[in-house]
Amino acid sequence: MLALKSWDTHLRASEKKTLVSFLLLYAFLTSLILVFVAIFYYASQRELLFQEKREILSTLTNEHIAHLKNLHNTFDKNQTYPRDTRYESAIFDSSLKEIFSTLHSNSVNLYEDIYFEKGHIYFIKELEFYYLGARYCALEIPAPQGWEHAVYQKLFLYGGIIFLVLVVIGYFLLLLLLEPMRQAISLLDRFIKDTTHELNTPVHTILSNIEMIELATLDASLCKKLNRIAIASKTISNLYDDLTYLVLSHHAPSHNEVVVLKALIEERMEYFHLLMESKKISQSLFLEEHVTLVIDRKKMTKIIDNLLSNAIKYNTLKGNITVTLTSFSLSIEDTGVGIEESKLPHVFERYSRFDTTVGGFGIGLNIVSLIAKEYGLHVSLSSELKKGTKVSLSW
Amino acid sequence: MVKKCFLIFTLALSLEAKSLYEHHCVSCHDGMTITLEKFFFRYLLKYSSEAEVQKALFAYMKNPKAETSILEPWLINRIGIKKPTTLNDKELDAALKDYWEQHKVFGKLK
Ligand code: HEC
Repeated sequence: MLALKSWDTHLRASEKKTLVSFLLLYAFLTSLILVFVAIFYYASQRELLFQEKREILSTLTNEHIAHLKNLHNTFDKNQTYPRDTRYESAIFDSSLKEIFSTLHSNSVNLYEDIYFEKGHIYFIKELEFYYLGARYCALEIPAPQGWEHAVYQKLFLYGGIIFLVLVVIGYFLLLLLLEPMRQAISLLDRFIKDTTHELNTPVHTILSNIEMIELATLDASLCKKLNRIAIASKTISNLYDDLTYLVLSHHAPSHNEVVVLKALIEERMEYFHLLMESKKISQSLFLEEHVTLVIDRKKMTKIIDNLLSNAIKYNTLKGNITVTLTSFSLSIEDTGVGIEESKLPHVFERYSRFDTTVGGFGIGLNIVSLIAKEYGLHVSLSSELKKGTKVSLSW
Repeated sequence: MVKKCFLIFTLALSLEAKSLYEHHCVSCHDGMTITLEKFFFRYLLKYSSEAEVQKALFAYMKNPKAETSILEPWLINRIGIKKPTTLNDKELDAALKDYWEQHKVFGKLK
């Protein structure tokens, strides 16, 4: 359940990319749909208006042409252009040159049949006889008051409703898209939680019983075998700690104190001593004195343990581990297999393992990064294939 | 001096063009029952733009025919077809230009 609550913080880079592309695509589609709907709606409203006005415009035009005919025949006596309060008009010759105009617009589209512009409806008719040389007659009447305003108002209303619906659909699509991701993560978390629970008791039983055996009383070969059992149990115990930390206790309050790092590192090196010995790994320590951090001791231990256990796990036989502590940084470097460059950006992600030949859940570095984030420590990782990996913490 | 000469020359030319229409066309048409203005409006009615009107007029003046006349056949029958113009192309163009300018509708409507 914990995992469900904080699933968003666990989204991987690739998942985020999928999400972003999904959102972009969806936004694009949404706006496309909206634009088309708007254009279609506007066009249909305009067509409706034209249908309503076409008849009256046609009648007015015929009247106007009759006036023009009259004027044509009596031009020697009267040269007053026919005007009417119901409309404005203009006439053009066959080369589209304006002969006379009372229109508001001074550029008329004579190829159109009827159209709307700046609050006016224009109606164009070609004359059968070119009275006064006029081949085209354009009539202009005002569109009904606030027609455009009303259309835009409705457009925004319907557009807004469609937009909201699309947003809601988008939200559910997003949930649908995320569901498999969430399920995978929560399944693993739950599985680990259940498993760890069952691991706790047996591991502790083994470890405490080995400790109780007095090694001095045993012969060398048996001693060796017992050591191996101890190492194996410690590995399990470490893993157990990591898992419980991740699933259960990283939300628990921290008990910060002044931690002397050199002492802690030496203690942890001692803890991993047997493990290192089993792979014949040598160590080089460059530890400055008096370096302290105010941090939860358990969490700092977790960081060091994880880095060390990685350095051991991914190291080669007879390899080397270099631990360097300065007043502002701690770095742990191994001479191991290294990490492919393409996988570097994902190493801090949960359940990501850069080397599948070695066991593990891929949570070690995730824990390191979680703790580092909590304390504002900067983690950087550099690696070269077959040469080794170096993890640095700085503060 | 040269300027003055040139001015007088162009003035004379324009005067001559004007008088060409006045003397040549108007003088012959004077007294006809259908005025040149009426003819003009019949051309407008059929050809609309300046270019079209001029083209049609030019063609008719050069080669008057009953089929291309804008007069009704019965009128043509009564009046008869005019003779092809005696003006050369340039003179005819100038005369027709004047004819257009005098009778055009552009700028006259109120
Ligand atoms: C010699 C006399 C004469 C002269 C000069 C003359 N016209 Fe005519 N014009 C006539 C007569 C006669 C008619 C009627 C018969 C006809 O239409 O062909 C006529 C007809 C016309 C018509 C009607 C054409 C049609 O389609 O039937 C026009 C326009 C016209 N004249 C213009 C002119 C112009 C412009 C000029 C000067 C360039 C001119 N005329 C010079 C005698 C003349």
